[in-house]
Amino acid sequence: MTKTAVKRPGLLSSAVKIFDLSLGQMLWSRRSVFLAVLVGGPVLLAGVVRVAIAFEPAAMPRINGANVGGAALFGMMIWLLYIRFIVPVLGVFYGTSLIADEIDDKTITYLFVRPIPRAAVLVGKYLSFLACTVLLVLPSVVVVYFLVVPIGGGSVGREFPSLAADLGMLTVGLAAYGAVFALVGARVKRPLVVGLVFAFGWEPGVLLFPGYLKRATVAYYLQALVPQAMPQDSAISMLMQMFQELPSVATSLVSLAGITLATLWLAGRAVETREYVLEQ
Amino acid sequence: MPIHDQGYRRYGGDKVPHGRAWIVIASSGIRTFVTKRAFLGLLLLSWMPFFVRAVQIYASANLPQAAFLALTPETFRQFLEQQSIFVFFVTVYVGSGLIANDRRANALQIYLSKPLGRAEYVLGKLAVLMSFLLLVTWIPGLLLLIVQAVFAGSFAFVVDNIYLFPAITLVSFIVTATAAASMLALSSLSNSSRYVGILYAALIFFSQALFNVLRFVTGGSTIAWVSVEANLQQVGRAIFRQPLLYETPWFVSMLMIVGLIAVSGFVLERRVRGVEIVA
Repeated sequence: MTKTAVKRPGLLSSAVKIFDLSLGQMLWSRRSVFLAVLVGGPVLLAGVVRVAIAFEPAAMPRINGANVGGAALFGMMIWLLYIRFIVPVLGVFYGTSLIADEIDDKTITYLFVRPIPRAAVLVGKYLSFLACTVLLVLPSVVVVYFLVVPIGGGSVGREFPSLAADLGMLTVGLAAYGAVFALVGARVKRPLVVGLVFAFGWEPGVLLFPGYLKRATVAYYLQALVPQAMPQDSAISMLMQMFQELPSVATSLVSLAGITLATLWLAGRAVETREYVLEQ
Repeated sequence: MPIHDQGYRRYGGDKVPHGRAWIVIASSGIRTFVTKRAFLGLLLLSWMPFFVRAVQIYASANLPQAAFLALTPETFRQFLEQQSIFVFFVTVYVGSGLIANDRRANALQIYLSKPLGRAEYVLGKLAVLMSFLLLVTWIPGLLLLIVQAVFAGSFAFVVDNIYLFPAITLVSFIVTATAAASMLALSSLSNSSRYVGILYAALIFFSQALFNVLRFVTGGSTIAWVSVEANLQQVGRAIFRQPLLYETPWFVSMLMIVGLIAVSGFVLERRVRGVEIVA
């Protein structure tokens, strides 16, 4: 009697299969409505501003009596809407849901009984999150760019390098936040609250303090990649600028890559070793 | 071993008078949360600003070098504004699953098949959330006032600023009612508590981000009414008789808050139903 050796699929090929399965589910779910509203908001706002200024040129934004160009307005929107809100929120929402959703729906068993490494489930879902969010967020930024930058005679071509830098920075930010919150989702019972505390409590909180504490955030490294200056929209922003000591671009990129890979590996380990008890 | 008859038995307990069933839901909900260690940790964290302020009061009252830390009525408003981040976290922790989890488990039909009205159900859930929110706003706010009198050994500050008691009470109740009503409405819209939590985060932070962009575009803060937080700050300052932070009239901000609560009530009225009839 001959014994046939069955080769177990590897992590990468299994992750690709899960990615294929999850991407469709993620794109055509009710959650995509939330995502669409989130990334559509800045586009709508940019459209309204553009139309308003086209009809009433005197409505141009001004600081100390001087007209502010479209490039500055675009930078402001990148900071306030994308970096401080959309990227962390999408990271929290999707990152914490990667495993938690399967547990809530009691479908994780069906994935875990397949002959694939458990970590591949997380990695595949993480990749589909990244593809889904990048495919929706980046076009939104580009549309905002083309709507806003020409305001006040701004040149779309001249500002293009900053747009490219913004797109790269947002992709890296989504990857890093997604990985961090994937770890939270894989390890913690109530991942959303922990995620929100990290994104909107811990990160803005420690960035206000001088010293090393801010290095334990994603925002510290991400903000160093933003080509535009941080807006002084509140006393907290001014305090942040006072204590702002930005790492170099290379340091930021290496740190963010390190955070992404390390947290993703830890999340994979957690999924491999943890016993998920489904509520009856 | 005797085998007892488990047939029909008359109810031996006390009958709860009509209209008080919400208390059962409220007390049961509160008991559920106070047994969670993570939640108790969050509550403890939300009391940290109170302890810091208490030390500030002690130092200003007893150390001449720290007299510059002396309390003013503005300190109490600042304290309540600082608590807004904890109000947010407690609202998400407690409120996101209050109705969503019942919808997920199809428990709404079971609740409403009892002698319990829809209004009582909503009131019970609202009471759970509001109790915890008042525990991080109203209670520490009032305690600060008492601590001030105790450490100073005089009621002079309290008597001179007697309006602080109603001001703290009113602001705390407006903040908690706004947070609780909007969260319950969102909770009734979905079966997933995580989705509800993120929707609430979007409501609070996206409206604030939108306001900041519009402030930059318009060059003024007249547009502050788009932000939930800005509206609460504006109304808080008006109640504490402080100069307003934004150019929006305070009654416009109040109108927006009332509008948000009214919309939440409408959503709850539409969504909290025992039977969904599909045409």
